Amino acid sequence: MFQPESMSRLLIVASKQQLGPVITELFRMNIFHIDDYVEKGDEEFEGFRIGMPLAGADVTSAALVKIRSIASAFGISKDTVSDTKRSSLNELKRRVEQDLPAIAEDVEKLLAKKTKHESSVKEFEQRIEALRPFIDAPAPLELLQGYDTVSFIAGNVKGPINLSVPCEIWEKQSKSGNFVILAVKNSDVSTAEKELLDFQIQKVQIPSETGSATQATYEYEQKILELNKEITELETQMESIRSKHEIFLMSSEEFLSGDVEQAEAPLRFATSEHAFAVTGWVPTSKATKVFENLDAACAGKVYVSELEVEDYNEMPPVEYDNPDFAHPTQLFMDLYSRPRYTELDPSMLMAIVFPIMFGLILGDVGYGLVLLIMALGLRSLVKGSEAGMQLVAVLRNCSISAVIFGVAFSEAFGFSLPWQPVWLSRHINIGGSGAAEPAIEELAAHGMATSAEHVSHIPQLLVLSIWIGILHITLGRLWGLRNAAVMDHGHHRSLKMYANVGWILVMWGILIAIWGNFPIPLMPDLSGTPELVAGMNIATIAGIVILVLGLVLIARENVLDLMEVPTIISNVLSYTRLIAVGLSSVAIAMVTNFIAIDMIITPQLENLSIVGIVLIIFGIMAFLFGHTLNTALGLLGGGLHPLRLHYVEFFTKFYRGGGKKYDPFGMVRKLTEQN
Amino acid sequence: MAAEIMTVEVAQASAAGMKAIGAGLAVGLSGFGAGIGEMGIGAAAMGAVAENKDMFGIALLFTVLPETIVIFGLVVALLLMFQ
Repeated sequence: MFQPESMSRLLIVASKQQLGPVITELFRMNIFHIDDYVEKGDEEFEGFRIGMPLAGADVTSAALVKIRSIASAFGISKDTVSDTKRSSLNELKRRVEQDLPAIAEDVEKLLAKKTKHESSVKEFEQRIEALRPFIDAPAPLELLQGYDTVSFIAGNVKGPINLSVPCEIWEKQSKSGNFVILAVKNSDVSTAEKELLDFQIQKVQIPSETGSATQATYEYEQKILELNKEITELETQMESIRSKHEIFLMSSEEFLSGDVEQAEAPLRFATSEHAFAVTGWVPTSKATKVFENLDAACAGKVYVSELEVEDYNEMPPVEYDNPDFAHPTQLFMDLYSRPRYTELDPSMLMAIVFPIMFGLILGDVGYGLVLLIMALGLRSLVKGSEAGMQLVAVLRNCSISAVIFGVAFSEAFGFSLPWQPVWLSRHINIGGSGAAEPAIEELAAHGMATSAEHVSHIPQLLVLSIWIGILHITLGRLWGLRNAAVMDHGHHRSLKMYANVGWILVMWGILIAIWGNFPIPLMPDLSGTPELVAGMNIATIAGIVILVLGLVLIARENVLDLMEVPTIISNVLSYTRLIAVGLSSVAIAMVTNFIAIDMIITPQLENLSIVGIVLIIFGIMAFLFGHTLNTALGLLGGGLHPLRLHYVEFFTKFYRGGGKKYDPFGMVRKLTEQN
Repeated sequence: MAAEIMTVEVAQASAAGMKAIGAGLAVGLSGFGAGIGEMGIGAAAMGAVAENKDMFGIALLFTVLPETIVIFGLVVALLLMFQ
């Protein structure tokens, strides 16, 4: 529950004849996490080397590459193929041998043709672009080149030009400057070019075409049209191939990638001339299954044994072992870092606390329902992506919690609901002076602030959030104590355990000292305790004693850690964001309602006119805009802040992370049958 | 001049106004602080995420770290306004 799945380390040894059956069986079971064999001269593995891939791996890989290239040309992937009948492996094998080469050839031909056409289109487009300046040219293009004694220069220049050498100039005005074509004697070309530089000439190549530029452009446009028609036709052909073979391609991709993975498995094994050995991890509950199945697959010619594990801290891969409702939060754990094998896995606690924090922040029936509908709607969109499904599930839980808190806070889109808030209220007064009685009554009529009394619950709410912080952080330290007890060794272990106790003592010591001096709502009031010395009462002195004891315990582990002591206060105060961020979203909602309804819509409704109706529509738009914005902010704030409270304030107290992901050898087949 | 028209109501109203100004300053200035803090972190975080998408979670976390300052400002403002 709060621990990852228990793992056992297995050693499998057999003669090389059994390599095939063992790999096939392990792949089929999909529970064995292979420890890759690394040649580093261990004594027990003397004479063993990394194995060679099974025969046929290269052929399979080649076919797989072919299929993947076709798939990428078609833009199809496993996720885009809808659920269908699973193909049998033998059938697929036959078709890969018989049909695949022909399909690949067809697709390649079509693709090559398409690419050729597309590059021609691009070339023609470039030529049209080059012809554009010459559309009004005074002479056909063939007359502008190929003379023995005369050269033509074309280009864009700034301002009218004026050269010292004899020349003939044709000029065309345009917005960006003048386009000129000029004819000069060959002997004058270099002088002319030099002088043209003064006019900032950007030379343009004269296209080697015949006839007028307009005519040439028209011809190219026709060609492009034809090519585009052919490209469309090719695409239709490819589309028909795609729809015909899509399922075959994707299921054989799955089949072949499974085959390749199996064929390459020996690269992770230790092999000698006649035998092979492989170590790996399986969930302890399934270890006997591995024994039995391998025995059956190799007719008893395999040796499987469970190995002793020396250091549980580092080695085993980690697989979560949580009840179903906590699965979505594992996403947040992986986002941070997977827990190590021996440490506490906080995903279950997070699955409970995270939605509560989200609800406390958002706490609005209206927004909660909007998010709930969004979560349910998104479910079909993220099908196929595990992380997406997890995220949507978290959103669903959070929005349900927001609705529950909304009912308790009596809030929907910033309006109060027709009942009093349960226990604490966070209704605030927007758009009126909080002190004057009539104003409050007027506001209450608009459903905004129900009474002056409710306004004053905000300090209590802040204290409530501080309580959440104190408990959360104390729990974090207690878990830190437990992790130190299990994961550390020797002298360091006890120091670390004491230090965790020290942190708890310092925090509670500060708290008791504060209680001894100031009465705070929702917290014990110890300020009435009798005075002892120097004007300090018993509670204050007890608090200081506990604090100092805690400091000593912290300093014993590491004196420098004392510098971190002020973070206790900032960490606890950080939890006030649960209320502060929530209040800001309440305020935005109320302001939106005030602007849209009280300032725009209501005055117009009293005196309906045409302008008034336009203004009312405008008011409705302002209402929708404000609440859409606030929903987005609520989602972002409600999601990010609890996440940060977990990552920064909570995890830093105990969590180490860095566990290896449990990645069993095998695959989940979607489109093919199990062999 | 001011002393002549100063009544109890005016004094109360101006005290309330001062409170409101204080609350506004608390949120506004702490917002500036957090913004300046997040500026560098955010830029670096974008760089890190561009290099390695897996960094997104941690990058986001680091980026919102200075936000605590605003929260403190907001809490001070709330206490000013509602206590």
